[in-house]
Amino acid sequence: MNLEQLKAKMDEVHYIYDDTLATVLTVALQLGRPLLIEGAAGVGKTEVAKVMAHALGRELVRLQCYEGLDEGKALYEWNYQKQLLSIQINAGAQSRDELTRDLFSDEYLLERPLLKSIRSEESVVLLIDEIDKADEEFEAFLLELLSEMQVSIPEVGTIRARSIPFVVLTSNRARPLSEALRRRCAYLYIEYPDLEKELAILRAKLPHVDDRLCVQVALAVKKLRDNEAILKKPSIAETLDWAAALDALGVRELTPDALRQTAGFVLKNPEDVRLIQSVAEDEAPHDHTCSCGGHCHA
Amino acid sequence: MLDPEVYLIKLSAFSRMLRLEGLAVGTAETADACRILLSLGFEDRDRVKTALRTVYAKSREEQRIFDRTFDGFFLPEEAMRRQAMEHARRESEIEQGRMEAERDLQLNGRPLDLSHEQREVYAAMSEEARAGLRAFMERYRESAERNPDLYNNFIHSVFARSIMEQQMMMEDAALGCEELDPDAGLMFRDVSSFQDAEIPRAIELIRRIAQQINGELSAKRRRNALSGALDFRRTIRRGLETGGSLYHLCYHRRRQRRRNLVLLCDVSGSMLQFSEFVLRFMQSLNSVSDSSRCFLFSEEMIEADPFSLQNMDRFRSYVRESGVYGKGTNLGAALEALCELKPAPLGAATTLLILSDTKTIDQPRATRALLEAKRMAGQLIFLNPIPESRWPYLRSTQSVASVCTMLSCNTLHALRDACKRLA
Repeated sequence: MNLEQLKAKMDEVHYIYDDTLATVLTVALQLGRPLLIEGAAGVGKTEVAKVMAHALGRELVRLQCYEGLDEGKALYEWNYQKQLLSIQINAGAQSRDELTRDLFSDEYLLERPLLKSIRSEESVVLLIDEIDKADEEFEAFLLELLSEMQVSIPEVGTIRARSIPFVVLTSNRARPLSEALRRRCAYLYIEYPDLEKELAILRAKLPHVDDRLCVQVALAVKKLRDNEAILKKPSIAETLDWAAALDALGVRELTPDALRQTAGFVLKNPEDVRLIQSVAEDEAPHDHTCSCGGHCHA
Repeated sequence: MLDPEVYLIKLSAFSRMLRLEGLAVGTAETADACRILLSLGFEDRDRVKTALRTVYAKSREEQRIFDRTFDGFFLPEEAMRRQAMEHARRESEIEQGRMEAERDLQLNGRPLDLSHEQREVYAAMSEEARAGLRAFMERYRESAERNPDLYNNFIHSVFARSIMEQQMMMEDAALGCEELDPDAGLMFRDVSSFQDAEIPRAIELIRRIAQQINGELSAKRRRNALSGALDFRRTIRRGLETGGSLYHLCYHRRRQRRRNLVLLCDVSGSMLQFSEFVLRFMQSLNSVSDSSRCFLFSEEMIEADPFSLQNMDRFRSYVRESGVYGKGTNLGAALEALCELKPAPLGAATTLLILSDTKTIDQPRATRALLEAKRMAGQLIFLNPIPESRWPYLRSTQSVASVCTMLSCNTLHALRDACKRLA
């Protein structure tokens, strides 16, 4: 798939993207490389995988990483209960060798996300979310899958991918990832969106919200993110929640009162909420002398 | 479109250059880059840059290096010619500086006893500084000719000191990386040189670094926690799920006790900013210790109110009101007071962290008290905000370094490395 085709597909699903993102995704697709996406929490890393699944018309298989995640949860597990029942039922009916062979067949294999993604007949999008939360051992275990697109199960042998999934790994940089993992991936760092992009997202996701309000929300969020004293920067999802909350309250103008009432939707720290007061003063209603109807005056 | 062979040759050279810049670029990356170039062409420079960055750079830091190298390598012809001329001009200036330095660094027809590195530093000094040294040499030239034994050493020591000061200034300047990467600029610059406007950014940086260290330490602790001994109770319980067959073996996890941290912070005048940054770091590092106590000292010692440390904005005013701020430093008295406290804050499971520049009155008393504190605490680490390159010239620092582990923490980068050693 070339760049223009991918852009057309992403346009179809109304995804707001910039040239950098589209180019990186095209490169990763063309090379068949996993894509490692890093960035602050809430910049839309996971969303990239979801959108790619939509745009490519593929199933999204998600593996959420956490401390202690192991092969049993990520790759496969034997269905022990079913195996035990089978042993008791077939104890006299089958020879020992046959029984053992049967017990380690597909019938007793519980597929977890990684195995599911490579055994799927149709190519899928595999999202390995928050890989930095998983242990280093799990990272090392992923190497075989990411470079060879195959996994080894001791009782079965090596399973090669029937179809090559498009793999997206996300990380919040809570800990540095190994060089070996990085080397196997194409890399993308996502920053918070600029004003224009944020506004475009607001308009696309919340078309019913007054445009003037969207501009004010986008401006306020930009100021909050630029303010180095704010500990937890608002994410895109929080921007959308905030705009939706203001709209639900019937607010048409981002007044200091409206800011105070809805601060909890955009800021999640008491220290940060206190700071919003100063932003509220800056964002106090000002006359739009031009006739643009409330477009961006940044 | 160019011949693929041309792409490959250019990309090989580009890959070599990236390797020289410290990126781990293998043949696989070059091959990928070639495939991408063949597909994209070279018409849109920005697009090519983005695509190659995806292939070559694997972290945000590497992206910055890549951008710089790409902009220097894939230049329009005009820019390339301009750059070559600029480079030649700079080279000739440096060569001229070297020749002048050779002329200047002569005494009685013989070269001064300076190393090659010292001569290079002299050549890089400003014309004003060099003129000052030349004037000094001229003033004493006749005396040196009359009595070389007496004056040669004196002149040599003045030159060596001036060159050393220049070297320190160059080390402190963060080598201009601020423009390329503001975060790296803050990471490698002396904490005492932070401007008020930069402090919020430094605090945000500390928060991010602390988050990373917490993640690393937590992972390390988990790895070390497995004892290898079978946990029968949990194994049998787990086996009930599979009809009594012991499919899942469960192992005991060794309880990892974190150390208690005792911080002794010098808050005498110039040390306040360092102490504040270190305390912020420690507050953010929840993986380092189970509990911590903090003591502040100058001529006397007080225990810091934990509430004032929770809210670092109040820390400065708290220290100023505490009565210990702005006085001289008496490390010996502070350590003695700490060792005599009841109940004793120091014990075998304690790490005592002292933050001070070692400049104290009554050095012998401080050394004795340090030895006593070292005996009482399980671990003693001294964080010194003076750059390590200056330690050999400071007697007090050498004296302290001889009895305990001393780490430099004059920059956030050094502080990060020091904090990793606490776990």
